[in-house]
Amino acid sequence: MGGQTGFGPVPVGESGDPPFAADWEARVYALATMLRRRGVFNSDELRNAIERLPPDRYLAASYYERWLAAIEMLVREKGVLP
Amino acid sequence: MSFEAGARVRVKARDPDHHTRVPRYVRGHTGVVLTAIDRWPVPDDCARGIDPPREETCYAVRFSAADLWGSGDHAVTVDLWESYLDRA
Amino acid sequence: MTGHDDLPVAARTRQLEERLIAAGLTSDDEIDEFLTRLYTKASPVNGARMVARAWTDPRYRDLLLSDGDAGAAEMGFGDLTYGLRVVPNTGSAHNVIVCTLCSCYPVSLLGPSPGWYKSFAYRSRTVREPRAVLAEFGLALPPDTGITVWDSTSEARYMVLPARPDGTGELAEDDLAALVTRNGLIGTALL
Repeated sequence: MGGQTGFGPVPVGESGDPPFAADWEARVYALATMLRRRGVFNSDELRNAIERLPPDRYLAASYYERWLAAIEMLVREKGVLP
Repeated sequence: MSFEAGARVRVKARDPDHHTRVPRYVRGHTGVVLTAIDRWPVPDDCARGIDPPREETCYAVRFSAADLWGSGDHAVTVDLWESYLDRA
Repeated sequence: MTGHDDLPVAARTRQLEERLIAAGLTSDDEIDEFLTRLYTKASPVNGARMVARAWTDPRYRDLLLSDGDAGAAEMGFGDLTYGLRVVPNTGSAHNVIVCTLCSCYPVSLLGPSPGWYKSFAYRSRTVREPRAVLAEFGLALPPDTGITVWDSTSEARYMVLPARPDGTGELAEDDLAALVTRNGLIGTALL
């Protein structure tokens, strides 16, 4: 990501400022924290999972959509859900 | 092996198939060690669930924009674990 | 696991949450408590208090710059989950923080990171053309101001110690802290 060109201007301003654009984004952030605390995965495994998303999906998704997809992936791989 | 402040180091030009904390834009580039920050688990091991992960010294390394991009008068500082680096 | 990628993301999130709760991995109360704490305790007010102390107490400034964790602990923030590094702005040197690999950020001292900090545009461009990026924030630095971009690639989290604004010699520490903005602590604004 660092140094790539073509992503346009930084979304400065009211719409780009809030930490979470919707309630579900905050809950995804919270779920990631809870699962780390439970030892289901660590931060680097989450980052690794985000980077393992298919590139077209990675680029099309919003920031927390990528987190959600990565958490779903890890939960599936770790077999922690029945 | 360890690096002192002021040491010139080259980032190994590796492209692993797992998460690493070496941004692509510094791979193969030479920078200067500012300081040893601390010892931490190597993220590449953590990312693959290797338990226990290796633990290494992590260094703040300063690169010049002109070296990285061919232009620019700023500096970019990146924190890099010891095994990411060779003495230049 | 049944895939429901076609569901709207909010519904997908709720579905994941319900399954994790059913499996005993978390609870609604735990999530609510975490978010309440995030919104009430994690705030740039914390970083601002440290900056104001550093402006008024040279011993504290030295401590904060040489050992960020100790500086944070002295102000009551001893439970950091990261190593804090504080970088000082001066009249001739400007610092700006980014995380190109993900979105590392000292959340407990600056609050949850703004949306733009996590954008592809900020993450990709700041290391390459910081002057252009800062200009989009309305910050035009003189050409002879040296810029250092700190890419947060490790367990260290970075915070900028902004330069103290001129004409604030009479202000008490609390009033000084009120001058410090979140963007000032990231380096995308001057004070």
